[in-house]
Amino acid sequence: MDGFKKRLSESVQLRLSVTLSLAILIVAIVAGVFAFISAFDEAHEMQDDTLRQVAVLFDRQHMTLKYPEGKGIAGDDEESRLIIQHLADGNKASGNDDDTAPLPFPTTLADGLSTVNVGGEAFRVLVRTTARGERIAVGQETGARDKDARESAWRSLLPFLILFPVLLLVVGDLVRKLFRPIATLSSEIDQRAEQELHPINESHLPTEIRPFVVAINRLLERVANAMETQRRFVADAAHELRSPLTALSLQAERLSGADMSAVAHERLVPLRRGIERGRNLIDQLLTLAKVQAETSAPTSPVSVHEVYRRVLEDLLPLADIKHLDIGVEGEQDVRVLINEMDLMTLVKNLVDNAIRYTPEGGRIDLSVVMDNGTALLQIKDSGPGIAVEERARVFDPFYRSLGTDEAGSGLGLSIVQAIAQRTGARVSLGFADEVQNRGLRVSVWLNVANG
Amino acid sequence: MRILLVEDDPMIGDAIHGALNDASYAADWVKNGLTALAALETQHYDLVLLDLGLPGKDGLDVLTRIRANNNPVPLLIITARDSLDDRLRGLDGGADDYLLKPFDMAELLARMRAVLRRKGGSALSVLDNGVVSLDLVSKEASTAESPGVQLSAREFALLQALLIRPGAILSRSELEDRLYGWGNEVESNAVEFLIHALRRKLGSQVIKNVRGVGWMVSKNA
Repeated sequence: MDGFKKRLSESVQLRLSVTLSLAILIVAIVAGVFAFISAFDEAHEMQDDTLRQVAVLFDRQHMTLKYPEGKGIAGDDEESRLIIQHLADGNKASGNDDDTAPLPFPTTLADGLSTVNVGGEAFRVLVRTTARGERIAVGQETGARDKDARESAWRSLLPFLILFPVLLLVVGDLVRKLFRPIATLSSEIDQRAEQELHPINESHLPTEIRPFVVAINRLLERVANAMETQRRFVADAAHELRSPLTALSLQAERLSGADMSAVAHERLVPLRRGIERGRNLIDQLLTLAKVQAETSAPTSPVSVHEVYRRVLEDLLPLADIKHLDIGVEGEQDVRVLINEMDLMTLVKNLVDNAIRYTPEGGRIDLSVVMDNGTALLQIKDSGPGIAVEERARVFDPFYRSLGTDEAGSGLGLSIVQAIAQRTGARVSLGFADEVQNRGLRVSVWLNVANG
Repeated sequence: MRILLVEDDPMIGDAIHGALNDASYAADWVKNGLTALAALETQHYDLVLLDLGLPGKDGLDVLTRIRANNNPVPLLIITARDSLDDRLRGLDGGADDYLLKPFDMAELLARMRAVLRRKGGSALSVLDNGVVSLDLVSKEASTAESPGVQLSAREFALLQALLIRPGAILSRSELEDRLYGWGNEVESNAVEFLIHALRRKLGSQVIKNVRGVGWMVSKNA
């Protein structure tokens, strides 16, 4: 019940539905009671009128009374029977019940309507003094009268009983329909990717929500601007860092060609390696900034094998240093719908990672197959793999697995994820060897180019 | 060889200038576009190294002016601008090559040699990747261990295909295309057979196989 109260105070839709339903219910009850009472009274009045008319008819036509001897005339119904008798005959009543006329009405009844109890049953009796001076009584059992009155009163309630549930349904449906734009809107915003900060289309929305949506749009714009500023800052900073690092690496390269002692030569090696690492980091930062910004649509289908080949051409020298057996498995090529540079960058970062983390003499396999109408690209290595609990975090920029002494930029998988998010690709990590829980297997699902 | 270096960044300029001197080039270093144009009018240069992000006059404007003056000097752009658009504008504007910062001096020197060779019009008679060299006239291949090995016509064609772009992986069908003319029936395993023969003659490390992709000769030895 508390839950309902909470929902009631939080949900405008629920509150509106409940309030309207309650209002309808109250109006229906009040109107129903009123209709019931008035129909009931109306029926009674009509029945009193009938008694009066019968008395007048009797008087006008100078009818004489003859009480029936036996019982049972066809069509007679004891319940709704009308009785006429001389009031004075009440004394001659044969019994104390209502079976035989005359009935034992008290002879002292005044002219007009009254309710009399005869033999445990209530009678409505009209006493009238006729033109001849006789006093006659016209009576009817109240039980039958009340039953008729109730029936007619209930019938007057029938429209309300039908109308009430119909109105409830109509109100419920109407409120739901009115709130549908909000539900559609929220699901639309919910389904947006991180980068989709374009404004919400407000033209088809009700005017009541529009100011709210306009405000959200302004916020989206500010967020987009802030993100763009930040991204541009990263790109500019990396770009600016390029020049000094280029100078540094050129000088170090010159230095290594100069005459110097063996010790100096030895010390120059880590220095150059450090500079190389800085260059690599800056390149990766620029790549990340670029893949986060670009939204160029794919122009033509891209052959996955062709991309694999070009990536291998680039990275083979690195793989050779570690004596890695790197290659492509399977003959079947697949053409995918993605910007070629994006796929190059994505595959290159994954293969680069595999080369970094696979120990000397290891093996790296690239493959592509069709999987339920999408292209499934897999890069498997014989390295240590990534533990299940770490898999969500390795996509964070600069995150490095514990216990690795690899000097990567820490941006490779972030770049992969940024490309995946922008192009609608799906990336998942697993073990290449699921029995021994070793080796990283990266799976990327991409849309296939048609035709 | 006289080289004009146009670079505004003092550290990079100093490093390249020094390295060019180390490599026995006579290098003049200017730091903006106007001085560069003035220098080109008064002095003959064999090659220009041009940075794009210059103060005063942008590198691309300098390039346009050089070519507008009908100066055919070989020109290599060295820049940090890595967008495809900039690259295309540079090459379409008349640059002979486009090198992206950061680069290694060794690569800059190699590209300079390549540009000079192309511009000099001297047809290459020897293909070389540092491990194996192939004489296109005598059709002899040489390695450090086995100099002057005579090759068959098909062996020569295959090694030539690989040495045109060292580091590029060629697939079986691409190699077959270069070995057989149209309409010639391709013998099965011909490529493997030829590569086996070449490895026997020149050493097993000369041609590398990349599993599932193809064959290549290494780029830098």
